[in-house]
Order: sequence, then C-alpha cells, then structure tokens
Amino acid sequence: MKTLVLGLGNPILGDDSVGFRVIQELKDKFSHPGLTLMESSASGLGLLDLITGYDKVIIIDAIQTEGGQAGKIYRLNTENFSGTRHLGSPHSINLATALELGKKLGIALPQQIIIFAIEVVDVTTFSEKCTPEVEQAIPLAVSMIAEELSGD
Amino acid sequence: MRKITIDPITRLEGHGKIEIFLNDAGEVENTYFQVPELRGFEKFSEGRPAEELPQITQRICGVCPEAHHLASTKALDDLFHVDPPTPAKKLRELLYSAFYVTDHTTHFYILGGPDFIMGPDAPVAERNILGVIAKVGLELGGAVIKTRMQNHHIIHMVGGRAVHPVFGLPGGVSKALNEEERKEVEQIARDSVEFGKLSLKVFDDIVLKNKEYVDMIVSDAYTHRTYYMGLVDENNKVNFYDGKVRVVDPEGKEFAKYAPREYLEHVAEHVEPWSYMKFPFLKNVGWKGFVDGKDSGVFRVAPLARLNAADGMATPLAQEAYEKMYSTLGGKPVHYTLAMHWARLIELLYAAERLLELSQDPEITSPDIRTIPTAVPDEGVGIVEAPRGTLTHHYVTDERGVIKKANLIVATLNNAAAVNMSVNKAARALIKPGIEITEGLLNRIEMAWRPYDLCLACATHNLPGHPLLPIEVYDSKRKLIKRFPEH
Repeated sequence: MKTLVLGLGNPILGDDSVGFRVIQELKDKFSHPGLTLMESSASGLGLLDLITGYDKVIIIDAIQTEGGQAGKIYRLNTENFSGTRHLGSPHSINLATALELGKKLGIALPQQIIIFAIEVVDVTTFSEKCTPEVEQAIPLAVSMIAEELSGD
Repeated sequence: MRKITIDPITRLEGHGKIEIFLNDAGEVENTYFQVPELRGFEKFSEGRPAEELPQITQRICGVCPEAHHLASTKALDDLFHVDPPTPAKKLRELLYSAFYVTDHTTHFYILGGPDFIMGPDAPVAERNILGVIAKVGLELGGAVIKTRMQNHHIIHMVGGRAVHPVFGLPGGVSKALNEEERKEVEQIARDSVEFGKLSLKVFDDIVLKNKEYVDMIVSDAYTHRTYYMGLVDENNKVNFYDGKVRVVDPEGKEFAKYAPREYLEHVAEHVEPWSYMKFPFLKNVGWKGFVDGKDSGVFRVAPLARLNAADGMATPLAQEAYEKMYSTLGGKPVHYTLAMHWARLIELLYAAERLLELSQDPEITSPDIRTIPTAVPDEGVGIVEAPRGTLTHHYVTDERGVIKKANLIVATLNNAAAVNMSVNKAARALIKPGIEITEGLLNRIEMAWRPYDLCLACATHNLPGHPLLPIEVYDSKRKLIKRFPEH
C-alpha cells in the first residue's frame, strides 16, 4: 500500500508552519518503503497533483475555528468538508472541490484521506516558530499519526 | 500597532472582508475593503544574508512564489552591482513564462471564468470549476489540469524544486538547461499555445457572444477611469520579467517611465485610519481620495493595466488578440474592470508564445549562466510584473550583504485603492432602497473585485463554504442586516 503523509503550511508564517514541523518529527522516526513524508505549501488543484497515485493520504494542517482552543487536534475526513462546494480562496479551490474534480476527470485518487487539523493562534506574523500551545501539540500530533500508520 | 479610530464593528484581525454601510434611506453610505495584514516582515528579514531573500520571500505566498523569487533575485543583481549573462536572463524569463501560464489558467477557470460561464445569478454551489466543466465539457477540464501540470513540471525542472524554485542567484541562476530538457519545454510550450488559443475561443463563445455579459462588461457600474502601470520592454511591449515601469494617464498618454531604482520618486503610500493596509498612489499627481480621473493619483496594475500601459504585445498571436480586444471595446485605454478577464487570457497566450520563443532561442542551453559579483553590496531594487501587478523588492544591506532593511510593495497592494472604489461603485449601483439583497446581488458586488485576482496569502487554508472576502451589509444603526456567507 502506498501511503502519503503530507504536511501543509508555510514555514515562515508562525503557526502556519505546524504541518511542516510534524513532518520533520515524523522523518526522524519513520521510514518505510511504501511511505512518503512530504511538506508542501500547495492547495486546491496543486494538492490534487500531489495526492494522485497514493492509496492512503494523511494530511496535517493548521486550522482556525470560531472559539477553538489552541493546540486542540481534530481528526477529520473529507465528508467534513463537503457541505457546500464554494470557492475557498480566489486562487484555488478547496479540497472537497478538488477531489470532486479529480473524480470527474478520472484521476486516480486515494481511497482514504484523513486530515489531522491543529487549532492554531497566529498565522499572520512572520516567524519560524509556533506559539507555545501549538508547539506543545506537535508531539501529540506525531503520535496520533504514528498510531494511524501502525494500523496499516 | 496603529489605533483604528473608526467604527467599532470594523474587525481587522484574521479575515479580509468587505463592509457595506447603508444610510437611513437604505442607500450605500460607504464601503470598506479590508485585508488581513501579514506582520513583522521587516523584523524577520533583518540580520539575514541578502542571498536568502529569494528563498524566504517566495514563502510569503503559496500562489505566486516565482514572482517574489524573481523580484528578489533582480534586487540582488542590483544590490551586488552585477549584470547576469543573457542566457541566465532568458532562463529566468522562461521559468517565469511557464509560471504565468499556470497562474492565469488557474485564475480564469477557477475564479474569473465561473461568473461568466455559469452566469452571475447561478447558485453559488455551481459557480466553480465543477459547474464550468459541466457546461464546457470534461475535455476542457482535462486540458486545464494538463496545462497546469506540464508547466509546473517546467518550473520544477528549470527551477530545481516544485513550487519554490532554488534558482535565482545574484548575477545569474543555479542551473543550466540541457538539450533533452529544452525539447520537453518546447513541446509543452506548443501545447500551451494551443491551450491559450482555445481559452480565448471559450471566452469569445461564452462571454462575447452573450449580449447580457457584454452589457455588464461595458456598464458604468464596473468602470473606472484611472492611471495604469506596467513593465514594458525597450519597444514598449508588455514584459513580465524586465524593463522599465511605464505609467499612462486615463486618456492613455504616457505619464511616466522609470527604472526600478527610481520607484520612490513616483509612488508613495497613503494611510487611512480604518485600515492597516496602505494605499499606493502616484506622487506626482497626489492623493485626492478614492476617486477616478486625471487629477487623482489612484492607479491600477495587473493584466488590463499592463495592456493599457504598453503599445502592444511582443508575440504575434497575442498581438492579434490585443488588437481585437481594443477594437471591440472602443479603443485604448479600456477602463472596464471586467475586461481584466479578457486581458488575462491575452497574457496567457503571450506567456505561452514567449515560452516557445525562449525554448527555441539558440542561447537557452548555454552553460554561461552566472557572473560572480565582486562589488560591495549596499542597496538594490528589483521589479517584476507579478500576475496580480507590479511587484517591488527593495533591500538595504551592510557591506557584508546582511539585510538592514527590506521593503516590499506587493502586487495586489497597488490595486488596493481601485478595489475599494470598484466595490463601492458596484454596491452603490446595485443596492437601492426597497431592493432585496439577494445572493445574486452580492455576487455581482464580488464580481467587482474578482477581476483583480487578489492575492491574500492568509486565505490558503480557508475552510470551504466561505468566500475569500465575506460581504457584510449594515443599516444606518450599524446593525448587521445581511451577510454572505450567512453564519
């Protein structure tokens, strides 16, 4: 089985780097022929390019929800995002729409997509570090993903 | 952090948005276009070696990293007083042309196109690329994906890494092109030219042949008579990578033409109390407020502005398309904001033709790709045309090349005043007392800013269901009466 663990984010925008940080920790711990660990700043259609050809994809990203508690980790799947198919950003399309598009065009999509989203505080200040609550969530996110991988 | 003195409802943290305030009669009193501010870049870059800036600045935005990468690289050329060998310049422009193909394709088919192809009153759930494909066919959808993927492959191959190239150096580039790679680029470029022609045909069939859309394009609600700015080559033709900055007035006459180092003599920034964002304007005209006209220093950038500011396109098919647009819309300059979508497709074709030209250039596989700098660095300015407009990087360093100060004027910022005005005008034209504020109406207000192809990096991880810029309508008592999306 080909598995991709994909950390999304921006390495210089503070908490938005958390996805990259988790991948860096995983790289120290995991190595397996069927496993790819990747960092990317892509979104929408660009994401579609990256996930094609894998059986299972685990995505790690920062999230901000109304009233959310910093450091909390959500385990989500694409059904959580399929409510409406609005545009998520002017430059791209959200994950749900990208997947729907991929399906329509007959692109080889993963059978399973899981998203680990970490509630963050600040994604608008340039910094290579995360805020403390988010830093503390990184080891927990790593072990949640490790557990997810060991089940395969 | 500056204190914001207006309206406590104005929420500036986190999300960008558009706020529309109505008076007692139910007419639009004022509108405000807000973007989230990315903070602390100056502090972040201080103390770093300037050579790192092409890597760092391209991380600011996941959408147009190549633009920052090249503006930064050119700033380094200037900083170190070094002139790259011509093969290096051509390779930079080759990579950049491939990037333009991907970026303009993405904007038209994902953002701009749906409004026209599905129609402004189509339900939001259909006004996206899925709706487009349902209407124009799977084959075109496949062509969009293929064109993007192929040109991203060129960027990866030429630039050394996907999305974020490791390519630009002061005095040149890090990697030459070999003959095998060159052949690949040439083939992809040919396919891209065909795709560019096809896209203009789609626009012609679906938009230009539809009277309702043409009426909307030329309507006063979406028109502003401003100055226009863009980079031009020595023949005053549009060039994305290099040249001089040219500004024309609302009648199309050349107002200014300057080299990157002179930008501070021409552009200043105006501050408003209700926004962290500053509004660039033409210093030699002056700030007269958010108004049109020859006496107002407001200027616009990006595709339509570039075509207005130039005398033509440097490649034949794009030139033909350029002439057709101007003859259809009544001559130069064109002031219709919605025509930006058309201009963008003309640029898409140009980028593909330019890519093909460069791939066939006898020098493009030359190993002579770097001139090593020897002078002491001090200050440098680099300007390119990002898809969203003129992008300026300005660095001041010590004698070791360590950054003391880094100033960026990002492309979208140049359009900030115009976007505010466009939203304002559309809102005033559409919101009248007694008329119900429907989703379709608010979408027509959104159509006023979408052509500008705003780059708001923070929105990259926006949850689905939320348009990038929510619109909030308030009555005269400051009570929220309508929000799109509702939540």
